[in-house]
Amino acid sequence: MTAIRGEPGSFPFYGTGERAPRQRRGPLAGLRVADFCWMGVGSVATRLLADFGAEVIKIEDRTRVDMPRRLPLYKGEVRNYGQQDANADPNRGGLFNNYSRNKLGVTINLRTERGRELAERLVAVSSVVTENFAPGVMEKWGFTYDRFRELVPDVIYARMSGYGHSGPHQHYRSYGPIVQAASGLSYVAGLPGREPSGWGLSYMDNMAAYYNSAALLMAIWNRRRTGVGTEIDVAAVEVGVTLLGPILLDVTVNSHTSQRPDYPTGNRLEHPHAAPHGVYPCAGEDRWVAVAVLDDGEWSRLVEAVGSPEWAGDERFATQESRFKHQDLLDGHISAWTADKDSHEVMHLLQSHGVRAGAVQNPQDLNEFDPQLAWRGTFFEMDHHVIGPARFEGFPASMSGEGPDHWRSAPLVGEDNDYVFGELLGVDEAERVELAEQGVI
Amino acid sequence: MAAGEAQVGAPICQGLSVVEIAEDPAGELTGKLLAQYGAQVTKVEPREGSPNRRVGPFADGVAGPDSSLAFWYYNTSKKSLKAELPGESDVLESLLEEADVLILSVSRARQDELGIDLDAIAARHPSLVVCAITPFGQDGPWSRYVTSDLVSLATGGLLNSCGYDDHTIPPIRPAENQAYHVAASFAHISVFLALMERDQTGRGQVIDVSIHDCVAVSPELANPYWFYPKALVKRQTCRHAQPTPTQPALFSTGDGRYVYFALILSDPKPWQNLVEWMGSHGLAADLTDPQYSQVAYRQANFPHIQQMIEAFFLIQDAQTIYHEGQARGLPIAVVNSPDDVLVDEHLVARGFFDTVELPGGETAVFPGAPIRFSAYPAVPQSPAPSLSSPAARSESL
Repeated sequence: MTAIRGEPGSFPFYGTGERAPRQRRGPLAGLRVADFCWMGVGSVATRLLADFGAEVIKIEDRTRVDMPRRLPLYKGEVRNYGQQDANADPNRGGLFNNYSRNKLGVTINLRTERGRELAERLVAVSSVVTENFAPGVMEKWGFTYDRFRELVPDVIYARMSGYGHSGPHQHYRSYGPIVQAASGLSYVAGLPGREPSGWGLSYMDNMAAYYNSAALLMAIWNRRRTGVGTEIDVAAVEVGVTLLGPILLDVTVNSHTSQRPDYPTGNRLEHPHAAPHGVYPCAGEDRWVAVAVLDDGEWSRLVEAVGSPEWAGDERFATQESRFKHQDLLDGHISAWTADKDSHEVMHLLQSHGVRAGAVQNPQDLNEFDPQLAWRGTFFEMDHHVIGPARFEGFPASMSGEGPDHWRSAPLVGEDNDYVFGELLGVDEAERVELAEQGVI
Repeated sequence: MAAGEAQVGAPICQGLSVVEIAEDPAGELTGKLLAQYGAQVTKVEPREGSPNRRVGPFADGVAGPDSSLAFWYYNTSKKSLKAELPGESDVLESLLEEADVLILSVSRARQDELGIDLDAIAARHPSLVVCAITPFGQDGPWSRYVTSDLVSLATGGLLNSCGYDDHTIPPIRPAENQAYHVAASFAHISVFLALMERDQTGRGQVIDVSIHDCVAVSPELANPYWFYPKALVKRQTCRHAQPTPTQPALFSTGDGRYVYFALILSDPKPWQNLVEWMGSHGLAADLTDPQYSQVAYRQANFPHIQQMIEAFFLIQDAQTIYHEGQARGLPIAVVNSPDDVLVDEHLVARGFFDTVELPGGETAVFPGAPIRFSAYPAVPQSPAPSLSSPAARSESL
């Protein structure tokens, strides 16, 4: 084994054996992607391509490895997101494994001229280029759509950013919560008369990633029909606004402002007037069940499921409109009924009567107990040389055709340098050693 | 086989023929994401119209199948055809004969009721891509369970991460159909995967999108926190759910609004920028003390730092904080309301919003397309199809 395989001597299996790049299967087999993405949005977007057979070559800088390698999600050690360990092994990061499964990994220092030359050679043998840096970073390296088109005339160049590549705020710094705040998605979540509860996650990292995956697939599909490539500009803030839903038209069509004391409505549903519609306490610590009754028929079935208690016959609960008006009272009765019950028992009882109800599940419920996800095999495992066996979130649709091709956990730092630089680009071993010594790869 | 005729310079989905039968917003949004890019999307509706036509808010507050803003929102650029289901309907069969894609968002229980058999449809139309979106998937122990947006967010785990620091308050639903939106994005992805596979094999396929699964793979850090340290994240007001409580990230401003700002203490650059910014107002006070250059000192005094930031933001208005903070390189944002978003200078400058001409001659502002392709023209949105007026319907073809 030569010294250029990652950290000298430490991983003799680098990119070999079962981890050696192979012929992939799926609708994207044969497609090569020069992937400059990092962090969440870009990595999740290109993961989809890798899952379905594309050869996604993730480009990292050895001196500034991808952030999810450093975010502290480790087996056997609980740390908050912000509590990084500066000396941690970059191959140990769980989030990187999660985001970069099925991809190949190379290291190129793009701040060196030889590094940029090497990256261009990689682009020249690819047909899709992806990036989600802050605007201006790719340009600084001379990497523009025009330059890529010189290298690959029908290239697809996907640019994923918070604010897009035009407009007065294009240079604004963003990550999920910033996009959620700026696009209105945080405002629309919360109890009336209080600060917004917003989102407990970077929802827009996922949603922007999914939209970028879809954008890439549309472009690849159409290039196969027409031979035409394209540049793609997805601004997460714009995706976020499209997800605001009908409330936006209530403002534009009805001039009904969303800046009013009774909005947002917490767990209550204004359209249609639903009642009960809420999240109710159950037995155990922080356990809850969601119940949604949208019409009188569903109400009758709920009453039957609950055992037709006396309170349910209260005339104030006789119609949907009246129940909607008396929700405080109604919610009190429902809460009293659920409070000593197991959240899943309530869910199954109500569902057996055709009532929309669901336990508020946590990740342990999803992974260990949810029989539906287990039945569908939604989560799956792959081994990783440093982390060991790890779970992954699979593709949430089953397809009667080719499903995803999960072949390898995430690359170790520079794991596929030999294959990509040697076999794909024809850089001989002596030069690879020299490039490694000079810190180019 | 390749879908339809594709022309250079035409919209990216030109020539793609789609039939949509949607009883929830997931199917409708999937259809819209195709229609917005030039696919011909035909909604097949029962005589009384799709269920979403009965959901408000309504234009001018007047309920009716043609005035539902929920329906308008999800159904621009489509045409509509009235036909009774189930699947053996001649109208539907002849549509499917010509179609590339069938989007069907009808719950599994309702499929049984209507006699819809996906495998039979696929057998009759071997090159058709059938994309079925259901609450829990086509089969399995929960497949006949019914759902709503709230219920899917609950069972899929996303709701568990959302709410307030005060855990006597239940988890709070992030509003406006997000479980359906997540499902639509995966349906959108699946359709193109299947179309590309069809280009190679000539065969269509059945795609079984489970809303429950879509939400369950999307709570971001919550799952990896379980996969790796086996930690359960706990909800915190308008910021990431984490294993243990963190400092608030929402700050009140002088004009009664909120800004979101999570200071990363370990990073020296944002710290310097923040102190400079406060100093420019003469309000950096003791934060300029050299001891604060050490991460450990900043961490030990985080509550004090937070108080200083609280006071600093309380004397300014939210928009000023947003733009000046960003100009100083800090990741900070105003919590925009939907009203604010419509006049946001950045979105306006990018020409994001569309003005859609309604059948009555009036116009309404809609959000534009979420994806921009340099090589393909944007498609102007036409209004959602009318149920009552065939003339209006043909206009929107």
